[in-house]
Amino acid sequence: MDLQGILTIDVFGLVLFAVIVHLVRIQKLHVGYGILWLATTTAVMLIVSIPPLLHGITRAVGALFPASALSLLAFWFIFAILIFFSVKLTEISSRQTRLLQALALKELDARETAADGLAVPGADVDSGQT
Amino acid sequence: MKRALVIVPAYNEAGSIGEVLAQIREAIPGVDRLVVNDGSVDGTGPLVTSLGERCLDIACNIGYGPALQTGLWYALRRGYDVAVFLDADGQHDPEDVPRLIAALDEWDCDMVIGSRYAGGRPYTGPFARRVGQQVFSWLTQAAMGRRIYDTTSGLKAVRASAFRLLVEGTYMDFHTEVLIELSMRGYDVRELPISMHERKHGQSMHSWKSLFEYPLKTMFLTLVAAVNVLLPRKS
Repeated sequence: MDLQGILTIDVFGLVLFAVIVHLVRIQKLHVGYGILWLATTTAVMLIVSIPPLLHGITRAVGALFPASALSLLAFWFIFAILIFFSVKLTEISSRQTRLLQALALKELDARETAADGLAVPGADVDSGQT
Repeated sequence: MKRALVIVPAYNEAGSIGEVLAQIREAIPGVDRLVVNDGSVDGTGPLVTSLGERCLDIACNIGYGPALQTGLWYALRRGYDVAVFLDADGQHDPEDVPRLIAALDEWDCDMVIGSRYAGGRPYTGPFARRVGQQVFSWLTQAAMGRRIYDTTSGLKAVRASAFRLLVEGTYMDFHTEVLIELSMRGYDVRELPISMHERKHGQSMHSWKSLFEYPLKTMFLTLVAAVNVLLPRKS
């Protein structure tokens, strides 16, 4: 890759760096995700800026051209990040279900307690809903 | 005398829930009833409450399996000995509930399924559903060593010994995946012949999408359940 290409990618990377820091600062991006994207941006900038590293990776993945190697790396990264986000979505969805279940149980407990004027039997049994 | 709780999961069943609850009261006087209103938007929850029935109102729809699990949490917390699932669409006959509970004792088992097809009665419904029923039934034969003919029945009686396992697992509809996991863990699952009525109100939760989604998800969850049993996770 020529110097102009390296500079373009590095400048783009620095802008992205600033955007990520800003997003974390205004609490639009979680710190953990911010670090993930900063690490990714840094990795891309390093790979592109150090020609022996880029050529080494190109040989290691069996690609003929550095651009092909970068495309392959990008594909793997996108695949991995999609699985990661699927896991996160599932976690959030499961938490939401548990919260809804717990809320429904607590509401019924409260209604029955109010109706009976008594403590609800068994309401202290661990429901695993926390 | 065993303390039994009839759990009725309901999603947009305002048209039938009143009649179903009246039938339960008539068929099994004195039995505790719990409607799990799974985020209905047709007034099912207020209707049930206005009838003086116990209603667990889930704020938005979380699905059939998790709704049943919420009902089971309630049964577990209140120390019930038996929970019976009965659908809110009016297809099940509450007269069968005492038979299911009695069968739990008679066979000393952990779950009794109210079965439309027990003993080889022919499968009914559209072709794809019949094929699916057959395939899942064979699957239970292969995995459990005992064939369950009606894997999709919503009428089930469960003994308290299985509550904890059932509330903590990942299940979609409490069908094949539950039956196989229970059986692989040493619980005894049996079938009792019942008859079912046609749905009079509302719509089935199964749509054309279920034709593909249901078998794939059920197969996958069954595989996950089997792996869970074979490779228990460290707690």
